[in-house]
This record gives sequence, C-alpha cells and structure tokens, in this order.
Amino acid sequence: MDIFSQQLINGLTYGSLLGFIALGYTMVYGILNLINFAHGDMVTLAAFLAITIAPLAVAAGTLAMIITLAAVVVSVCIIAILLEKIAYKPLRAAPRLSLIVSALGAGMVIKNAIMLIWGANPRIFPRNLFPAGLAKFSDISVSYLSVIILLLNILVMLTLYIFINKTRVGIAIKALSTDYSVAELMGVNVNNTVMIVFLIGGGVGALGGMLIGASYTTVTFSMGFDYGIKAFIAAILGGIGSIPGAMFGGLLLGLTYTFCSGYVSSAWANTVTYLLLIILLIFRPNGLFGRSLVQKV
Amino acid sequence: MKRKLLIAVLLVFCTIYPIFANSAWLTIGATFFIFSLVALSQDIVLGRAGVYDMGHAIYFGMGGYIFAILVTKLGMNFFAAAFAAVFLPALLALAVVTPVIHLRGDYFLVVSIGLNFIFTQILNNNPFRLTGGPNGIFGIFPAPFMGINFSSSVFIYYFAFIVITLTIAIMNNFDNSRYGRAFYFIYQDDLAAASMGINASYLKQIGFMMSAVLAGFAGVLYALEYSAVSPETFSVDQSITFFAIVIVGGQGSLPGVLLGTFAMFVLPELFRGFADVRYLIFGIAMVAMMVMRPRGLMPTKYGFYPKKLFGGDT
Amino acid sequence: MKKYFLVLIMILILFCACNRKTSNEFVVGVQAPITGEYASEGQGMSNAVKLIVQQQNDEGGLNGVMIKVITCDDEGSPQKASICAKKLVNDGAKVVIGSYTSTATAASQEIYANASVIQTSDATAAVLTQGNYKTYFRASFNDDIEGEFTANYFVNVKKYGNIAIISDYSSFSSGLAGAVVKNIGLLGGNIVCNEKIDANAQDFKAVLTKIKALNPDVIYFSGYYTQSGLLRAQQVQLDIQADYVGGNATDNPQFIEIAGEQNAIDSYLVGLPVPEQLDYPEALKFNSDYLREYKAPVPSIWTVINADGLRVVFEAMKQVNTNDTIAAIEHIKGGMKDFRGLTGPITIQRNGERAGSIYRVNVINSDLDYETVYYDPVSGK
Repeated sequence: MDIFSQQLINGLTYGSLLGFIALGYTMVYGILNLINFAHGDMVTLAAFLAITIAPLAVAAGTLAMIITLAAVVVSVCIIAILLEKIAYKPLRAAPRLSLIVSALGAGMVIKNAIMLIWGANPRIFPRNLFPAGLAKFSDISVSYLSVIILLLNILVMLTLYIFINKTRVGIAIKALSTDYSVAELMGVNVNNTVMIVFLIGGGVGALGGMLIGASYTTVTFSMGFDYGIKAFIAAILGGIGSIPGAMFGGLLLGLTYTFCSGYVSSAWANTVTYLLLIILLIFRPNGLFGRSLVQKV
Repeated sequence: MKRKLLIAVLLVFCTIYPIFANSAWLTIGATFFIFSLVALSQDIVLGRAGVYDMGHAIYFGMGGYIFAILVTKLGMNFFAAAFAAVFLPALLALAVVTPVIHLRGDYFLVVSIGLNFIFTQILNNNPFRLTGGPNGIFGIFPAPFMGINFSSSVFIYYFAFIVITLTIAIMNNFDNSRYGRAFYFIYQDDLAAASMGINASYLKQIGFMMSAVLAGFAGVLYALEYSAVSPETFSVDQSITFFAIVIVGGQGSLPGVLLGTFAMFVLPELFRGFADVRYLIFGIAMVAMMVMRPRGLMPTKYGFYPKKLFGGDT
Repeated sequence: MKKYFLVLIMILILFCACNRKTSNEFVVGVQAPITGEYASEGQGMSNAVKLIVQQQNDEGGLNGVMIKVITCDDEGSPQKASICAKKLVNDGAKVVIGSYTSTATAASQEIYANASVIQTSDATAAVLTQGNYKTYFRASFNDDIEGEFTANYFVNVKKYGNIAIISDYSSFSSGLAGAVVKNIGLLGGNIVCNEKIDANAQDFKAVLTKIKALNPDVIYFSGYYTQSGLLRAQQVQLDIQADYVGGNATDNPQFIEIAGEQNAIDSYLVGLPVPEQLDYPEALKFNSDYLREYKAPVPSIWTVINADGLRVVFEAMKQVNTNDTIAAIEHIKGGMKDFRGLTGPITIQRNGERAGSIYRVNVINSDLDYETVYYDPVSGK
C-alpha cells in the first residue's frame, strides 16, 4: 500500500508539471488551431533565465524569490508575445502547415540560442528559490515542493477557469475559440485577444519551467522537446481547448506513465503511454473534456 | 525549353560526378539521393494525400532494419532481402494506418509522432535480439552477385541516382493521372472530394503504401551505403526534419523538395565551420521562409491541376 | 539569377569534392563529437591530441617528419562518422584518434581498416574488437572487463544479497549493464530487477519506488553522470536504504553538483581512476601541461586514454624507425610490452584489446573527495 501511495504521489507531481505546460498548448490551439511547437522551448528558457536572475536577486533578501519569479514570468511573457508577432501573426491567413513549420523553426531558434548562451552542459537550478524539505508519513515521502506544485496547479486552473468565464477578455477568448470568424465579425479584437492568450500561456509555462528546474535540480537546453510533446499529448487527452482538460490530461498522462514504469515495465512505459493515446483518440477523438466538433462544410 | 536544358545539365552533372568526387563526397552525393527519396515519399503523404504524417522515419527505418536483419541474421541474398524490405513496410504501413486514417489532421499528427516514439523504443529494446538495441546492426554486406559488389560506393551512388530519377519521372506523370487528380482533390478538401464520390480513406491508404515502398527503398540504400543502421537515424527528430523539408520546399513541388533536402543535408557539409550556430540559422531560415513564402520555396504553380484544364497555354 | 546560383553551387561542390594533393607532413586525424551532447568530451580529445602533437613537433617531429592535426566533427552519429572517416582518409590521415562513442567508432572501423589507417579510441563496446580489424586497437578496456570487475565487487567483496540494475538507452549504458548482469549471473549473484530509464526524462521516482519495494542492498546505474546524479538525489528523497553505485560514466564533477552535496556523500563509483588520481610522473606532467595550455583541467579520464592511444602509436613508430602504419600496428600488437602510459603500463594484445585492468572503486567521502576503497587485484602486481 505504501508503494502504491508513493507511486500515486509521484504520478500526481509529474502530471501537474505537465499540466502547467499543457495549458499553453491548449489555449493557443483553441484559438489559432496551432500546435505551438516552440512552447516547450519557452518553458526551458524560463528555467535558464531563473538561473541567471536568481543570483542577481539575492541582494533583495527575503523578497528574492518573489522578484526572481516575477522577473522570469514577465520576460517570458514578453518573449512569447514577440514570438507571436514575428513568427505567427503574419501567417494567420497562410496554410496551416506553414504555421506548424514556423513554430518548429522558432523552437529551434530558442533551443539553440539557449545552447549558445548557457552552454551545452546541464546547469544546476538555484536551490533556494522554492522551499526544500520532505514530509514523511510512515514510509511515504512527500516533498514540500510537490505539495506546492499540486496546489499551484489547482489554483492556476481555477483562476483561469473563472477568468475565462467571468471577465470580458475571457469571454472574448471563449468566443474566438468557439467560432473564430463569427467572433471577429461580432467585433472581438482578435489581435489583443491572441496576445493575451500567448501572455497567459507563456506566463504559466514559465512557472512550470521553474518548478521543473526546482524539482529535478538540473536543466538542459534540449529538455523542452520531451516535456513539450508529453504536455501536448496531455492537452489532447484532456480535450484540446479545454482548460480543466489540460489539468486532468496532465494528471492522467503522469499517472499512466508512472504506473506503467512502476508496475508493468520501465522499458515499455513510453510505448504503453502512446498506445493509450492512440486508442483513446480512436474511440474518443475529442479527448476527455473536449466538445464534439462538427465539421462545417 | 530552358527547363529542359536545366534538367539536362543536372543529369549530366550527376552522371559524371563520381569521376571527380572523392570517396567522402561520393557518400554525401549518395546520401543526398537517399534522403531526397525519403523526402519525396513524405511528400506523397503530406503534399498529395494531405495526411499530416510526422512519423515518416518509421517506414524509412523499417526498410533499413528489415534489410539489415535479413542480410546479417539470415544471410539472405541482396534481391530477396531488398524485395522484402521494400514491400513489408507498405503492408505494415497499411496495418498501422488503417485504424487511424479517419482522424482529423492534427490528431493524426500526434498519433504519428506517438507511433514513431514506439518504433524507436522497439528498436532500442532489442526484441528477440533482432534489432541490436541502441548499437543497431553493423556489418551489412550482402554477398556479391555476378560480380556486382553491392557495397561499393560507386554502385550505390548510381543505384540511388537511377532510383531517384525514375521516381521523379513517375511522380511527374502520376500528378497528371486520374489518381493524381483524385489526390489533389482530397488534398484540397477531403469532405468535398468524398461528396464527389472519391473514396478519401481508401486513397489515403494507397498514398501511404506507395510512400512506404519508396521510404523502404531508401532504407535499403541507406543500410547499403553505411553498412549499419541504428535507432537515432529513424527518430522523431528525423521525421520532423523530413516534414519541415517538404513544407519549406513547397508541398507537391518536386524541385522544392529536392532543394529542401539539399539545404538540410548537403549545405552543412559545405559549410563545416559554422557547426555551433548551424541549427540557429536553420531555425531563423525556417521562420523567415514561412513568413515570406508561406507556400514554400518553390510552390507548385497551378497546384496539381493538369495543364489541359487551363487550355494548354501554360 | 537562379541559373547562376546553381552553377555557383556546382562549382563549390566540385571544389570541395576533388582530391587535393597531400602535403609531406605526417597527418593525425581526430574524429570526435565536437558539437552536440558529448561536445565537452570531443573537444577534450581534440585538445589532448593537439597538445601531444605539439610536444612531439617540439622534439623534432616523428622520425624527422613534422606532424599536422586535422579534426572532423562526427556529432556522435554513425552516419556523420562514416563521412568523417572518408574525409580524413582522403586528407591523408595515417593515424586517427576516435571516436568517443562506440557507435560512431564502429561505423568508421571498416573504412580505416581498408585504407590501412591506424585507429585508436576510448570506446568500450565489446563488439569493436570482434570484427578483427587489423588497424584498430584501444587503450581503454572493454565493457566485459568492467562488468567482471563490478560483479566480483558486488558478489564476492561486498556480498550484496539483492542487486538492482538500472540503465538507459545509450549504447554505452546498455552494453555495460548487459556485461554486469551477465557476470553477476556467472558468479551466482541475485539480481532483483533490471530497469530502463529514458535519458531525456528527469523523473525516475516511478522506477525507484518500484525498486524500493524489492528491498535492494545496492542500486547500480550504468549510464551518464546527469541521470546518475538525479537518480541518487531521488533515491535519497524516497529514503531507499541501499548503497548507490555508479558505473564509470558517473565519474564527472557535475555528479556531486546534480545530486546535491549532502546526497552525493557515500555514493560509490566503479570505474577508471579520475585524471587527478593518476600519479605516474607522465600523467602529472600531462595534467599540468593541459591546464597551462587550455586554462582548464582535463575533462575526463577518456581524454587521457585517447592521449595514451596516440602516445602508443608515436612510440611504436619511433621504435620501428619508420612512419609506416602496417609496421607500426604490427609492433603495437606484437612487440610492445608495458609501455609507460599516462594510465599505467600498457600492453596491447593481438586482438587490439589492452591487457590487464586499472579499475577501482571510489567512494565520495564527507569532504566530497574521492577515496579509493577497492583496487583490482590484477593491476596490483
């Protein structure tokens, strides 16, 4: 039983981290139908920025953590908006696949820029940014960080859920993702709304990147791809476009992966995870929380 | 007329190339043909059948691995092994793709990435000691037949050259055929095509099989050229590269796809000095190319519409 | 415009592709991963070769001929390795050091053997000497020897009851894990599990939790230091009471940083000595020369082993008094005994394997220093 509970905690923590990243994918896809392949690399960038900013903020004493977090989130938000303006906005009317390749190219640029600036070797993430330490219940260990990750995940999802459903901007986002052209005709400001979506996705992703750094203490320039692709799959599992879907998709993927490694075979964990995805898509193509989509002719 | 001259110059250049190229550049030449073949086969699926396949290295890898296993483990002769390695991927492609062919574009894309991950994990896990794990399979030297040494660089170069020339010729004709037109319609709008009585799923499956045959052939050539296959050559990264080549070059555009392959695989050999910043430049070029020419470097001028539909004055 | 561009490209290819006349210098090639995942190791190799060649040239060259170094970046990939090998052969290389990874080395062996170019590397996969390539030898030891040493330590010295093995998907790691598992089996040890991790991932708690339930006495990991550090940190976090032992790729200063200083204490490392532990006078001089030349310490033991390979070739050529590669490789594999290498006495056997072994077990003590707790009885003589 201890082992089972421990695996449950492992899976929930890993799944929540994926949830942070999945959110950026799901929101951008909801509006632009774009798989933002550069998102995983933005998450990596956030972790590397924290490595550079944290030592500078130490002077601020107790406020160091807040300052670092804020500075990183703000810079990533700015870069996310720039990315949208440079690489995606000119392509709104272009074929869908061009947008995907533009995203792949942008990801490549960010990844290699990180390598050139911070080097190809793994870097150590600052240890003092988040509280360290462990709580032990009989034989189960729970780090304070995993509790923070879980709570933050729920908090962010709830906030966003309320934001989308209750504020003007949120309703504009919802309108655009329901029907882009009708919303545009009804006077929704497309450019501003898209910008806000990238801002939210980038900011939450940046938070996720720093939490990943803190959880595993090392970050490498190439780690964005693996997290990115898993998070995107999580977004699809949850039903792409759905905000609670991103959270539950992340948890589902995290738990599947963990229990496969723990109880089936670590050598085949990825295979089982992807098979699950394929089977789910065959029988429930819109994910767990997605609206069923009627193709208009 | 000008076009014909250009093609003639290119053909002559490629034919006499082995006379002056040293062994390293002969290999680079053959590699260019091999990767072009994979890119063209990706173009059948992506640019003609309109299926977002981001796991195309699977079929390339299947060809290479099946050939390698048959030659090294069973000691098969070249022809039998190559035959199996070209046609088995097509059957496997059919089996794998059939249950998911109806999925919407992006969902298919994710499924194909997943399939590619599964494929490399299988290669790495070395089931039944067949695939050699992360080391792959070394020493693929099929027995010579009637004095032909299949592993000689010059033989592989000309073999690959003939295959790619034939492929291009066939694909050029195919675009103007009945099937080619049907492909063009499902690529444009598969729902409309379906209502016109074109069986879209069936055509997509055909497209996949044709493409897997070509990719499998490329796999055989690769295994011959390098006499080794290993999992990282057939990874998701490689699939993404082929995907990008087709889009950057221009879907359905033969010269565009060749140029894209050239830029991705040969230019880096010409400019070795920039090793560190190479991928940064590629990334910038990809974004810039898409922003400036969203339909690719050399888009097909009139789609795949047969010329006669335009009154023949093109 | 397009036409001119095409013609320009063709001329450029012609220029690159043509055979150029080779100079009368003696050419040493380095085929190494200068960029990519193993960049720091590849650059170390290239630096070490340049250093030794420069010192040899200062002594008047090799049998009166000056030496030149050419480097080719194989990015650790077998495909690039094959092209690199052909390029180096075309550029007239007579000796090639490389490559770092076993896969890239294997992909180039045939080409060097056909061109009678001597090849030596630090790669450890057992298959490399099974092809009987006459021109290949290595100053490192094959995985089987490390496997045998590790198994002996686990079963006969430490008498571990339950042994858990973890490896990743790199060819190096799975080869080594395979050798360890095989040898533990031969000695009658009890392996409770043999797990795989994905080197791209960072969360290994699922696998470790599974291992915890099996009550292991030792957890052995055969992969690289990055994952090794994470595994150790997560082992401590999950409170698994077992010794942690890393294979020789765990040996990197970053292991301690990644695992965290408190966690790294009491981890065991099985492997070759680190460069700083080599106390032969030649090794001390090499370490200090390298530091002076490149303002950085020798990156790892692999750099030293590659340097040793080159030194063996130079010494053989001096002894046979000719720069002929066939005569030299014959002498290396048959005539040379106990050459004074940086990593101890070197004798190369007929099949290209180095005789003996220099493995040892280090433990990280509370001052974060390496402390040797067990030597190979064979090398003790």
